[in-house]
Amino acid sequence: MTRDPDGGLRIGSPWPRRLLVSHGVLVYLFLYLPVAVLVVFSFNAARQTAVWSGFTLDWYRRLLRDDGLLDAVRNSLEVAAVTTGVATVLGTLAALALGRSPAGFRGQRATQALLMLPVVIPEIVLGAALVTFFGVSRLRLSLATVIIAHVVFSISYVAIVVRARLAGLDPALEEAARDLGAGPFDTFRRVTLPLLLPGVVASALLVFTLSIDDYVITSFVAGVGATTLPLHIYSMLKVGVTPEVNAVSTLLLAVTIVLIVVAQRLLQEDRRTT
Amino acid sequence: MTRTARISLCSLAAGLLALGMTVTACRGGHGRAAEAAEHKVNIYIWTNYLPPDVLADFEKHTGIKATVDTYDSNETLLAKIQSGVADYDIIVPSDYTLKVMIPQGLVLELDRARLTGIDNLDPRLLNQKYDPGNRHSIPYLWGTTGIGYDKKKIKEPVDTWRVMFEQRYAGRILMLDDVRDAFGVALRLMGKSINETDPAVLRQAADMLKKQKALVKTYDSSDFANLLAAGDVDLAQGYSGEIAEAVAHAPNRLAYVVPKEGGTLWVDNLAVPKTARHLDAAYAFLQYVMQPEIAARIVNGVHYAGANKAAWDRIDPKIRSNPSIYPPPDVLARCELIEDLGETTQLLDQLWTEVKAQ
Repeated sequence: MTRDPDGGLRIGSPWPRRLLVSHGVLVYLFLYLPVAVLVVFSFNAARQTAVWSGFTLDWYRRLLRDDGLLDAVRNSLEVAAVTTGVATVLGTLAALALGRSPAGFRGQRATQALLMLPVVIPEIVLGAALVTFFGVSRLRLSLATVIIAHVVFSISYVAIVVRARLAGLDPALEEAARDLGAGPFDTFRRVTLPLLLPGVVASALLVFTLSIDDYVITSFVAGVGATTLPLHIYSMLKVGVTPEVNAVSTLLLAVTIVLIVVAQRLLQEDRRTT
Repeated sequence: MTRTARISLCSLAAGLLALGMTVTACRGGHGRAAEAAEHKVNIYIWTNYLPPDVLADFEKHTGIKATVDTYDSNETLLAKIQSGVADYDIIVPSDYTLKVMIPQGLVLELDRARLTGIDNLDPRLLNQKYDPGNRHSIPYLWGTTGIGYDKKKIKEPVDTWRVMFEQRYAGRILMLDDVRDAFGVALRLMGKSINETDPAVLRQAADMLKKQKALVKTYDSSDFANLLAAGDVDLAQGYSGEIAEAVAHAPNRLAYVVPKEGGTLWVDNLAVPKTARHLDAAYAFLQYVMQPEIAARIVNGVHYAGANKAAWDRIDPKIRSNPSIYPPPDVLARCELIEDLGETTQLLDQLWTEVKAQ
């Protein structure tokens, strides 16, 4: 075995490599074939999801006229956007407190442990706990309670991701900034935050995704006018899922892909220039 | 990091935040304005239970703004109402769920004087054991449990539950994943009531179901109509509404029948939760849907059998004569509502576990 020019391992026989490639292809097929089928069948003329009977845009047309479904999409986007904003800010602040307070603070370990809890607690327990909490505090279930619930489980994810990024930062960079006369706020704004940004953006995307497809917790805490897309799709099961659901999933998929590509682009630009 | 990249990232984050806040602010403003007028009603109902045009006409006619949310199971509904902070004014529990909700004090006792139009309802569906005297609810839509089947694959006429026990259909049969519906089939075949409580008879029924299990492809209560439509099974025990929907889309291939032994009857009822805050609007809604012409439009729109007798003449003849929606009277007479079996429930659950675990 020798090293080839771009640093990879060269192996004598081509077979291991071919096996690796075919294994890789199979893994990607396994991951993306169902999604591809979903997209293809959103253009299926037949109502039944299993049989192809010609191309149509009917489901997309019906989707645009289906007020219930559009309301659900709007609710989901609204919840996901607010949750992402609030949870990203709060989670990043929590990560900073845990990772950058000079001498630690009282109860730091407990705070850290508590912050991890929503990630490991089964969703159904969290949902039941939240609805009981809202009941005790006489807070009427609405879209706001859905957002509160989503923020609760999202903060942990942000804190974990940003904290990991923070741990990998060289503290010397921040010290250098202080040495060069930057105050704490300037150091944060011009050194720490830009370096953390990839982690912050990654966690924001993660939160957006988690929020938009959460069913279990949402089903507990959703109130009047707060039917989100997963709740709506689930209740459609009673009359059968139509390709309309495929159509709306395809649109959401497209939005998600665009968001991820944009974020990737921004992050790559960042890597090239630093 | 370049300046532009940093700015775009920051603006992306800021944009998301701002978007979220504006949207909530708009909605908040909206909500408060409507609340001040108190002219609204919050409806929590099954999917496809209220045609959009009927709802729009209700809003136009009464000036009440209606918000509709949908649920997928009685259990979801029950959990939501039990929380005590769900802001709904109209709910649609099934018979057996109402039987749970009434003793728990979750639904309001209705004011008879304000239920104008209740005389339009079918007396056969009134005064049932789950709500004697209809003090807490009025029947809305109802249906049966029967067999959906593929006419192309099952050549013999299907009119009995016995077909679900035929060796030659092994691996093509679907049964509902519900203890009462499954035992109902065995009990009706034995000539007993679906509410039988004699342990010896129930054990016999369990033995039948255990023998049947080898033939059953799957037990499923939520996706049965889709599995039938997709051709995964050729004989499916199921609820009339969902199967009727599948039949409507493939009338040449699929059919639904209530077997001659009879089956389960289910009734979904309109009720008002104790926590309701818009009582006037809730009564206005109840009165509205009890009008014969409106009740007929609902049935014509959703393809479920309605509980409004006075609406009969206005219902689309195609729906009226569809035996999968309105079974013939002699078959209907052999259908029963599921009743609470009290202590026998435990034995039944245990027997059902034995069947499923075999």
